[in-house]
Amino acid sequence: MTVLRRWWAPSHPAQLLLGLTLWSLWFVILYGGLSVACELAPPAPGQGALTAINAGLALLTLTTLGLLAWLAWRGLRAGRASVGGSRFIALTGAGLHLFSTAGVAFVGLPIVALPPCL
Amino acid sequence: MSETMRPTPEAERLHREMEAVWGTPRGWRGLFSVVNHSTLGLRFMATGLVFFLLGGVLAMLIRTQLALPDQAFMSPEIYAQVTTMHGTVMMFLFAIPMLEGLAIYLIPKMIGTRDLVCPRLTAFGYWCYLFGGIILFSSLLLEMAPDSGWFMYTPLSSSEFAPGPGSDFWLLGITFVEISALAAGVELAVSILRTRAPGMALHRMPLFAWYILAMALMIVVGFPPLILGSVLLELERAAGMPFFTVAGGGDPILWQHLFWLFGHPEVYIIFLPAAGIVSTLIPVFAGRPIVGYGWVVAAIVITGFISFGLWVHHMFTVGIPQLAQAFFSAASMLVAVPTAIQVFAWLATLWLGKPRMTLPMLWITGFLVIFVCGGLTGVMLALVPFNWQVHDTHFVVAHLHYVLVGGMFFPLLAGAYYWLPLVTGRLPSERLGRLGFWLTFLGFNLTFLIMHWTGLLGMPRRVYTYDSAMGWDLVNLISSIGGFMMAAGVAAVLLDLVLHGRFGRTAPRNPWGADTLEWSLAMPPASYNFASLPRVESRHPLWETPTLGDAIARGEGARPGAAHGRRELLGGEALTGRVRELIHLPGNSLLPLYAALCLAVVCVSLLTRLYPLSLLGLAGAGVLLLRWSWENGGHRLAAPLGHDEPEDPPLHSRTADGPGRWTMGVALLADGAFFLALLFGWFYLWTVSPEWQMPARSPLSLPLLLASGAALTLGTLWLERRVAALTRGREAGLVLALGGIAALGGLHVALLVVALLNAGLAPTATAHDATLLVGLAYLAAHGGLAALLAVLQAWRAGLGLVGARLPFEPGVVALLWRYQLGAYWILAAAMGLLPRLMGGGP
Repeated sequence: MTVLRRWWAPSHPAQLLLGLTLWSLWFVILYGGLSVACELAPPAPGQGALTAINAGLALLTLTTLGLLAWLAWRGLRAGRASVGGSRFIALTGAGLHLFSTAGVAFVGLPIVALPPCL
Repeated sequence: MSETMRPTPEAERLHREMEAVWGTPRGWRGLFSVVNHSTLGLRFMATGLVFFLLGGVLAMLIRTQLALPDQAFMSPEIYAQVTTMHGTVMMFLFAIPMLEGLAIYLIPKMIGTRDLVCPRLTAFGYWCYLFGGIILFSSLLLEMAPDSGWFMYTPLSSSEFAPGPGSDFWLLGITFVEISALAAGVELAVSILRTRAPGMALHRMPLFAWYILAMALMIVVGFPPLILGSVLLELERAAGMPFFTVAGGGDPILWQHLFWLFGHPEVYIIFLPAAGIVSTLIPVFAGRPIVGYGWVVAAIVITGFISFGLWVHHMFTVGIPQLAQAFFSAASMLVAVPTAIQVFAWLATLWLGKPRMTLPMLWITGFLVIFVCGGLTGVMLALVPFNWQVHDTHFVVAHLHYVLVGGMFFPLLAGAYYWLPLVTGRLPSERLGRLGFWLTFLGFNLTFLIMHWTGLLGMPRRVYTYDSAMGWDLVNLISSIGGFMMAAGVAAVLLDLVLHGRFGRTAPRNPWGADTLEWSLAMPPASYNFASLPRVESRHPLWETPTLGDAIARGEGARPGAAHGRRELLGGEALTGRVRELIHLPGNSLLPLYAALCLAVVCVSLLTRLYPLSLLGLAGAGVLLLRWSWENGGHRLAAPLGHDEPEDPPLHSRTADGPGRWTMGVALLADGAFFLALLFGWFYLWTVSPEWQMPARSPLSLPLLLASGAALTLGTLWLERRVAALTRGREAGLVLALGGIAALGGLHVALLVVALLNAGLAPTATAHDATLLVGLAYLAAHGGLAALLAVLQAWRAGLGLVGARLPFEPGVVALLWRYQLGAYWILAAAMGLLPRLMGGGP
């Protein structure tokens, strides 16, 4: 637990990897989930983007987006309050979380417009 | 020592003392046993240069064939071999090893240390690269070369359409070479994290080291999927296991996934070190620190991650749902953002500085122009409709050359001209160098700018000739003329590199006014780099203290000399660079060469289908590698226990967390990537393959799986307890305990093998059984290794080489046990339990 708590601190180097790791996990679940869902229960083509699959993917995307945005804000706040190496790690980590947030929003955008399995 | 330095008597004495410990013996023995990073880095680069020239000759053959329509200069069969080998040689035998060589040579010098953390691994990697490259290239001379394209798509590369040994040469040779890449990736990552100069915290690390750290970790994660793909395809070709054959429940598209899971990140694995060269040179020639150091670091990390999320953009035409294509299209555009951050940081640095247009900067300028154009066509290709239009045309060929030649070759030559004085102590010819640049730059653009047009006119790639009526005559002729002009440019550069060693002016110390530590060294550097180890408190140590090199040579830094007879580095904390331990390194050894030779025997005997010989070779390599691991820690050939041991800091083998533990951790990261790719293959075939046959009842016995897992779990928990006790100084009953742990490991493997034998699998009949077999074999091999290492630990504990004063090694072995525990239960759940829960049947 102590190790996890240390890694969780905004000034730990693990924060340089956390945001993009979350982005990667989200991306894998998004693509994998879509592929499996289309294989198991493809919706009728006429439904367009208004399907349970799209709704599920959108929910996942919004949750990930919220978590990443909060992590970015947390890193920014910690970075402003620290100096030296800790400041560098916290601010760079905040930037990476922010980029990951934008990445989730940008890559996830087609969920609202495209049918899932065509 | 450098001709430009006047060493003091104290510096001379230190030099002699260090050289006696760090130097390489003369003659044949020295040639084959050297483990020094400078020598091996240069060997990597020299060998890479030879392969580059061979690949370049193949390129000229291609351009000769395509210069005019309806040519019969090459037959279609030979043309297919030549194009396949050109791509393969340039990607696998030139680009990656060349950049690894550069990193192996430079990184210890830049981060202020004496060698890489696993010198024997460096040597092993080099020999694997050399032998693998020779085996692969020999196929062309035997007219048996692979001919299915450098990406070896199935079924074109499968037995049905490629019955000869060409595909086998590719699969086995490339896997051999990839061992080398992984070895370099693991040790570069650990060296950068754990052996930086005291005080060199992460935020003071040279940007080049950030780039190489990202490259190394990307190699570690990115190469294993292709190794898995190669293993599966070779098993299909040699043993008939139908992983990629639809009729047997496989799927040829699985190969594309595995290949591009590696292949797209590889583009960035090649680009990142080259961008590291750019980020190093631009501040030097602009005369100011880079603008946005933190932004560039963030861009490197972003590129490292996002580049793994783009692979499907190579597969837009295979029939993937539009929504999934949109995800990958968006991710492909997203990766342009970190690249743009770097380009803007470079431009801002030039804008705010006072740039000097030296020869290296000329190549950097060429890079900026070409790479930005390549990046823009990359964004075009990320758009699905456009991608469909130009798929498999010369437009794609032109794009990839803009990205790879612009993004790697131009910065590489900038780096070559920049660091040449460090290696040789001499300066190249400005006039010949400029001629080489302009011929290369103009020739390149003439070839490949025009080739975009050729592609837009519809000319497909990999066709050996074309009809005049297609209207592609003029553009192809121009591309061919450009190709030969570029070849002349490369020849001029080579001539310059060769001649400068004899006729070049002697370089003054730090000739470019650089800021990084390698320029504090003698030119050429001594085998040990630093006679004493510098303390670094700034990102620009030589700009802060221009005389740092003299102080280091006089022994005013840490750990001067080597009277103790050990090769020593300082090991530090990954984040702060604070000193934690003294790392003692092994000396010169023939074991890496012998182990690589055994693997070469395995490779050749698999090619020639002499399977008993390949088993013998494998066993030989195993024994040699275990012998290698034996000569560690407190062994008499490493650092035996003594009475006057250093205590502040202690030797790493007297601690619980030396670099070997990190090396094992990073190596297991690669292993984990292989495992995840296997898991992906299992689920992919299960859900997507049209003829997949899941039996109604799982053939694996659940009680046996549970019993095997229980033995493994008990063994792992026991080992963890003993490791914890050892770090607290308790060693009573250690030999017995390690023996018991090894026995549990043996039981785990035995039960697993029984489960496998009882399953009655038919691996040549269905992809399901074949995948199950590979999964169980993977677990059995790892379980066997874990048990064997526990036996060796018990033996070493009995000999006094492991104990309370030498607690290091069991912790390293425990990592492997922990990994096996996770892999076992995940695979048991995925292959043994989940099919029972989900239900079988078609």
